[in-house]
Amino acid sequence: MPTRDPLVVRRGRCLAAGRVGGMTPLLSARGLTMQYPGGTTPALDAVDLDIAAGESVAVMGASGSGKTTLLHCLAGILRPTAGSVTLGSANGPVRIESLDDAGRSRLRREELGFVFQQGLLLDELTALENVAVARMLAGVPRAQAETEAAQWLHHLGLAGLEQRRLGELSGGQAQRVAIARAQVTGARLIFADEPTGALDSATSVEVLDLLLAATQAGRTLVVVTHDADVARRCARTVVLRDGRVVSDTAAPSQAATAAEVSR
Amino acid sequence: MTAAAPSSTPGSVPAPVPDARPAGAFATAVHLAPLFARRRDGDRLALALPVAAFAVVTALLLVVLGGAQAFFGWDDDLAFTYEAFAIIAVVLLVVPLATVGASAARLAARRRDERLASLRLLGATTGTITVLTVLEAAATALVGAVVGVAGYAVLAPVVGLLRFRGEALGAQMWVPWWWLPLAVLGVGLLAAASAVVGLRAVVVTPLGVRTRQRAGTAHWVRVVIAVGVLLGGMVVMQMLGVLGNLGGVVAIIGALAAIFGGMLLALDALGPWFVRVRARRQARKAQTVPRLLAARMVLEDPKAAWRQVSGVAMTSFVGVFGAVGLALTQTTSTEGMDPDEQWLMQDISTGVLVTVAISFLMVACSVGINQAAGTLDRAAVHVSLDRLGVPRSVMSEASRRAVMSALWMVAGGSALCAAVLIFPLVGMAIFVQPIAIVTALAVFAAGFLAVRGAAALSARLVPGILARPERVL
Ligand SMILES: Nc1ncnc2c1ncn2[C@@H]1O[C@H](COP(=O)(O)OP(=O)(O)OP(=O)(O)O)[C@@H](O)[C@H]1O
Ligand SMILES: [Mg+2]
Repeated sequence: MPTRDPLVVRRGRCLAAGRVGGMTPLLSARGLTMQYPGGTTPALDAVDLDIAAGESVAVMGASGSGKTTLLHCLAGILRPTAGSVTLGSANGPVRIESLDDAGRSRLRREELGFVFQQGLLLDELTALENVAVARMLAGVPRAQAETEAAQWLHHLGLAGLEQRRLGELSGGQAQRVAIARAQVTGARLIFADEPTGALDSATSVEVLDLLLAATQAGRTLVVVTHDADVARRCARTVVLRDGRVVSDTAAPSQAATAAEVSR
Repeated sequence: MTAAAPSSTPGSVPAPVPDARPAGAFATAVHLAPLFARRRDGDRLALALPVAAFAVVTALLLVVLGGAQAFFGWDDDLAFTYEAFAIIAVVLLVVPLATVGASAARLAARRRDERLASLRLLGATTGTITVLTVLEAAATALVGAVVGVAGYAVLAPVVGLLRFRGEALGAQMWVPWWWLPLAVLGVGLLAAASAVVGLRAVVVTPLGVRTRQRAGTAHWVRVVIAVGVLLGGMVVMQMLGVLGNLGGVVAIIGALAAIFGGMLLALDALGPWFVRVRARRQARKAQTVPRLLAARMVLEDPKAAWRQVSGVAMTSFVGVFGAVGLALTQTTSTEGMDPDEQWLMQDISTGVLVTVAISFLMVACSVGINQAAGTLDRAAVHVSLDRLGVPRSVMSEASRRAVMSALWMVAGGSALCAAVLIFPLVGMAIFVQPIAIVTALAVFAAGFLAVRGAAALSARLVPGILARPERVL
């Protein structure tokens, strides 16, 4: 049985902290534990994790290891049964887990961006409207929201497709719309759960390029993936097993990913 | 979306069940029925909804029939007149009742389709699927209809409070006992029949249920024809007197029937077109997310948006006629009338308003059912939007707006058509009998509120959906 030694975890964290260089992390989880009502063992077991601004973090692990659960707890979609998640924001740190439903909803809307495998966009709306809606929810007038949305779509290579309804776009195009939507609000932190899971490999590379480009612009990316190629291109890889962090490395060590993922 | 769907594991597909003969299909279906009927606890609501829907249909059907047949016990001079009006009212309520029935059937089918599609992928034959579907539809409808009979027992005394000729209908509301099993059987049979019709898509293509087609749009030629019919109706309306001199009462009744029929067809042709044109405009102008979404939802299928509320079209139309006509007769000649005729005038007015009210109630039920089904259908969307931090109210407000905007078009449009037809009279009525007009407006307002309430009800399903997201993603 491979190590569950907390030392391994701590070493990983020190490594990460080293890269952060003493700055306060953008997102910081302590003792994060999630026990689903019906579950026998916790889906997350005392996870500690610091994520610095501008980082790109790949979260890997076997199916059922708790990747999605971790992402949802970090993003305030799920409230953990124990532990804390702190987001550094302009008005000081926010304890996400202690916010109520409405507060977390607002936080997700205003501060975070999401790109999931599918289904975060509305079929009835056009590509442009899907992106503009994110701004309109923040109270921006429609015309301005659509101008900003159009710029993002253009930037992501979707010029000319603004008026297509979502059902009329390919999977890769729809995913670009989602990426535009995730960034149009100015979110500093983007969570992606298998964003390339439903795409062919060429399209995956394109979509990942766009997500990584966002980190170049100062955003922070947390991406759950099964794809070692995706992980390899991220600055840091966190591997989960049975709800614990078993490795946390700057460069994706072949040994760690291969051993942990193909388990 | 679930990775574990049987369809995605080709390795485990059992051999198709051989059933060349219908008897074989039936045997297999009976064999599979318990499997088919077993569901996860999350489906309880989805199961309860169609049952409730069929219960509502049956209860309303019996109330309408009970009210209508109440007059058939009378045997004096005016009995025939009352009976004729009762029949007209029942005919007017056929469309809204059919709408509720159709929503109930559609709701039942929705839940069925997915499992049927996976059965189909698993290799079940057309025969097996047909038998299973009919069995389930009939069973759901029968259970619902029995509950509906109980609902009738509760509603009938309430409706029995209505006064005709100064007396409450009371016990006259009860239909003969043997109508009850007939109604239950009838609802069951209709549900089974509509299930068979709805089934073809699933049988033709296993994936058919998942591919939503885009609705066809109404052509402008239809609009031109409809406007022509409307204008023609106005002309005929003006010539009623001449017609009366030429052909007597029969000619007048014939002309009126033709006008009403023409109007109904014209409304049905115009409605979806207007709904689409208006929704387009709203989509362009919308400044808030719910408004934009509502307009886009309507544009997705303007015909469906229209049909959902079209049950009030004819009653709104007749409602304006009735209210105005009665307002005028009440002022003119009550003096010279015998008491029976005065009652008749009063009672027609009651009857018209009750019919309008019931039609709105039926549309409210059908909207409630459709919205509930729609909300369950879109459960994954609700979960996704919640994850993005979209406030929960956005979706509910959008779907409520989509319904109400179509309702305004239907009720407002038909009332307007009627008002145009008898334009000078409406003006007169407002002056001489404001109370009658206000009463009519109050009935319309109450109807709108009922539909709005029904549309808002489905929002209550959302917290349940969001509490168990893993069920839908
Ligand atoms: N809503 C839930 N209720 C109960 N248990 C759950 C729920 N969601 C997830 N789990 C359990 O929690 C554990 C972690 O699940 P999670 O979805 O986080 O895994 P994952 O790493 O994202 O897997 P995958 O790669 O398959 O997406 C699993 O054992 C899973 O069965
Ligand atoms: Mg996952």
